[in-house]
Amino acid sequence: MAQFVQTLALGLLIGGVYALMASGLTLIFGVMRVINVAQGAFLVLSAFVTWWVWRATGIDPIALAALTTPLMFGLGWAFYRLVGARLRSAPPSMSVLLMFGVALLIEGLLNVTAGNRFRSATPGYFDESYTLGPISLPKAPLYGFLAALAVLAVFYAVLDHTWTGRAIRAWAQNPSGAALVGVSAVPTATLAFALGTASAGMGGSVLSVLVPFFPASHYEWIARILGIIVLGGLGSLPGALTGALILGLAESLTSVYVSPQWSILVFYGVIMAVLIVRPQGLFGTRVREDVAA
Amino acid sequence: MLTLDGVVAGYGGGDVLHEVSLSCPPATVTCLIGPNGAGKSTVLRVISGLLNPRRGEVLLDGVLLSGLSPRDILRHGIVQVPQSQALFPKMTVAENVLMGGYLLRKDRALLRARRAAVEELVPLVRERASEPAGNLSGGQRRMVEIGRCLMLEPKVVMMDEPSLGLDPHSLAAVAALIERIHRSGATVLLVEQNVRVGLGLATHGVVMEGGRIRLTGKAAEIAAHPDIGQLYLGAPTTGGQ
Repeated sequence: MAQFVQTLALGLLIGGVYALMASGLTLIFGVMRVINVAQGAFLVLSAFVTWWVWRATGIDPIALAALTTPLMFGLGWAFYRLVGARLRSAPPSMSVLLMFGVALLIEGLLNVTAGNRFRSATPGYFDESYTLGPISLPKAPLYGFLAALAVLAVFYAVLDHTWTGRAIRAWAQNPSGAALVGVSAVPTATLAFALGTASAGMGGSVLSVLVPFFPASHYEWIARILGIIVLGGLGSLPGALTGALILGLAESLTSVYVSPQWSILVFYGVIMAVLIVRPQGLFGTRVREDVAA
Repeated sequence: MLTLDGVVAGYGGGDVLHEVSLSCPPATVTCLIGPNGAGKSTVLRVISGLLNPRRGEVLLDGVLLSGLSPRDILRHGIVQVPQSQALFPKMTVAENVLMGGYLLRKDRALLRARRAAVEELVPLVRERASEPAGNLSGGQRRMVEIGRCLMLEPKVVMMDEPSLGLDPHSLAAVAALIERIHRSGATVLLVEQNVRVGLGLATHGVVMEGGRIRLTGKAAEIAAHPDIGQLYLGAPTTGGQ
């Protein structure tokens, strides 16, 4: 029983971190209707920045999220303003191609500067745990989860209680309706994109401690977080949160009770099973094509 | 006075509006009528800045509006209730109405006062405040859409097919609301396929065909015009054949 509870706890911890990574991607999709296939590359870029600064200064890698989050926010802001906004009226496939190119560029730059080797930040608490009775909670995933929770809480508070958040939600739900009340397209999309890349900044710092990474590991991460937002329903933040927790639990339970080798298969198996029953995802809505805006 | 002068506009390579000129005097209700494809909705899109005219001018009280962004046109006091669903379905009714005051967001006191005024005019906004707008019926959504645009206390309110898809009860409520907006001193520009309803609400009428103005005048004169009666109101031809 203790092992089961511990497995559930670990699943929730990792699910919380996945939720942070997926929230940014689903936010960008919600506003821009484009899958940012470079989100995994932004995540890995942030993990490398964290690793470099941690190695040079010894500052705690998770605390370095205070650096990588605004850094990636600024990068996302500048990128969308200078490049992304130019493709606003182009077909979505052009934006996907652009972002794929960005992902390849980041991967190439990281290969040149850091080499094609696995890296991992290993702070002092890396292999330490808290013990609560029969349950042992590893410190690194716990700190990562708490950091992700804090950022997600800020994320949701901004979206729910500020004019900026209302403008982003309004644009995501009805762009022409938003334009009619005075919400401007480019600033709103820029902010949504920057918030999305900021979440990758935070996620990358956490990732640097939890999982070894290398430049090309962005393929694995974009597949994983894309799977989460498809499971939750594209564009839905509650969906991303729920999907991430479900997949975190499924992965953790499979690793412990079946085999770690099966966990990734179960991850995608759960997605396929849900999509067979609900093609629109857990929180997605089906829209008739003849009335869709 | 809202004025269009020689407006040419369209989508892609083709023109939909050909040298359209019309005027809406202050504090009047003008109804644009015409068959499908006449360019009525395009006129509203040009005025609200969603479509830039290729030639010609849009003026409000002598101030040039053409070329401005939809946001700047809102600031000049021109709002639009479009034909298709304009609400944010997952936001509450209260949030939807609040978004109507997006341009006033830094003035909380003014926002509160405007919201209270809208709730007075459209009680549904207060009664269903906490419900997602997507849960409302078609008529209720239309009332909230109109209420939302009143948050800016506009000079000109444009409505595209306000009667579309409404049952008689909802239609009567929307008509009464339009009448109250008119009495408050705003200029109203309606686009209506339901000519009897549109001209019944209006003080002035404009008939469009093929992207051109065919006829303008007082609403009663338009309704009594033999061609209009024959084409749009189902009246017998004057020739008696």
